[in-house]
Amino acid sequence: MTIVDVIEGPLWQISVWTFVILAVWRMAVIALAGRFPARARSAGSASAGAAASVVRRMAPPRIVRNSGRTWFVTLAGYAFHFGLFAVILFAAPHVAFIKEQLIGFGWSSLPRWGFIVAAELAFAGLMVLWIRRFADPVVRLISRPDDHIAAGLTFLVMLTGCMALGEQSTFLRVTHLLTVEVWLIYFPFSSLMHTFTWPLSRGLTGAVAGRRGTRF
Amino acid sequence: MCPSNKSICLGTAFLLLLVSCTAAAQALDRASAGQGGPDNTLGNQSDADMWRAIRQGEAGLPSASSLNSEQGVLVNAQGVWWSDMRADWVITYGATVLLGVIVVIALYFALRGRIRIDGGRSGRRITRFSLLQRVAHWSVATLFLLLALTGLVLMFGRYALVPLIGHEAFSVAATAAMQAHNLFGPIFTLALLTLFIAFVRNNFPELTDVGWLLRGGGLFGGHASAGRYNFGEKLWFWTAVAAGILLSVTGFLLLFPDAFATRNQLQLAGTVHGIAAIVFVGFACGHIYLGTVGTEGTLEGMTQGDVDENWARTHHDLWLEKVVTDIEDQRV
Repeated sequence: MTIVDVIEGPLWQISVWTFVILAVWRMAVIALAGRFPARARSAGSASAGAAASVVRRMAPPRIVRNSGRTWFVTLAGYAFHFGLFAVILFAAPHVAFIKEQLIGFGWSSLPRWGFIVAAELAFAGLMVLWIRRFADPVVRLISRPDDHIAAGLTFLVMLTGCMALGEQSTFLRVTHLLTVEVWLIYFPFSSLMHTFTWPLSRGLTGAVAGRRGTRF
Repeated sequence: MCPSNKSICLGTAFLLLLVSCTAAAQALDRASAGQGGPDNTLGNQSDADMWRAIRQGEAGLPSASSLNSEQGVLVNAQGVWWSDMRADWVITYGATVLLGVIVVIALYFALRGRIRIDGGRSGRRITRFSLLQRVAHWSVATLFLLLALTGLVLMFGRYALVPLIGHEAFSVAATAAMQAHNLFGPIFTLALLTLFIAFVRNNFPELTDVGWLLRGGGLFGGHASAGRYNFGEKLWFWTAVAAGILLSVTGFLLLFPDAFATRNQLQLAGTVHGIAAIVFVGFACGHIYLGTVGTEGTLEGMTQGDVDENWARTHHDLWLEKVVTDIEDQRV
């Protein structure tokens, strides 16, 4: 068995199952943790407050307007997250890979120009967000090693992916796959889990506010 | 020997020479007609004349004689010239210039050492760059490093890397470098535009720049007064902007060859792209040196956003005076 076979075979299986099992486990732990029962009389709807906060806090104009001197960080956040979402789920090589290797069915992929634009947005956004961690003294102080490792690994995955865009070299394709595997294994242990946990945390804050009859 | 015998001898010799020449001419004629080898082969026939005629564009032959016409071109003679010029001039002199810059910087550091803050650190901090300016700067810097690294692989790799890693490994490296270069290029244009907007305000020439220039910028000792940015920084800013614009425009032409340009324009774009990149990388080497190991306390402005007051007094005394005056005015 060659190193390529290991990366495409057992290591891929291990990384995917590690990611799925531990991510589900972490989400289950959060969901089942429960919270202290509220003793005060309800002044509003907790569910409506949760839903409203999840949706409302995503509205770009308001967020950018309220960001002050870090307006460009907010824009970079949108560029990175939407760009990465489009690249991961709608790039033609990824759709084909998901269909053949994971679930047996696919969906329409982005045209190549759309994929390139999404990748550019994701790269530009991630770069600004990561640089800000170094350049802003306050954010630098509150950043943990995990934040830098998560950003660095994501950058590495995207970099090796873009280098393999020519689809001409097994070495480049396997290098990209290897970085994806490392990223998947690291994912459940890290702040990358905010991919799944953000609606829970934001929803809980909104629910508490909604029950009190206030707005988050 | 009697005269008649002499005439007979000369006549015989002339006849032999004539027969020999005729036989040789017939042999050459056979060979040139393709009769010198087996059927379906060229034998001794040479196509050099024919290819030369095609390349030089003789009438009736498909060639690159009309440089603006892309149709019917069999051999692009202009492409050969461009390829030779790129290898002989841009790459050779480009490598020489870049190595020369590095040698000059190393020599300067060996002779001058690190430029220290006059009077040491004061402990008082002056705000120098905003968060937006720092993020714009480091974005351009990061993209510059990625683009320079991949660009140097593409430009010099055939000469510098192939002997080290071989053709096969280089082809992988070149493919990866080209894809990354193409992807990061447009982001660089956007980052450069942001950098321009964030920094242009104080980068216009002033009268004080003449004094700074006459004192050699304090690079060889002594003090040279400067405002927020000195003449060297302004020169670097405008060089980066000009080279960046050239790199961006030519880069887009190379990225979308079918949409925008003819082959002639693409060759020109490739040459300009290479020269602008060498200028950018050369200046950047000096900038990186002076911003890090070359000058004490300079890097802090870009990492923390503020600098020591004595650093400001040493390198940008006129700017410091203005900042202090502004603070006092605000107090009043």
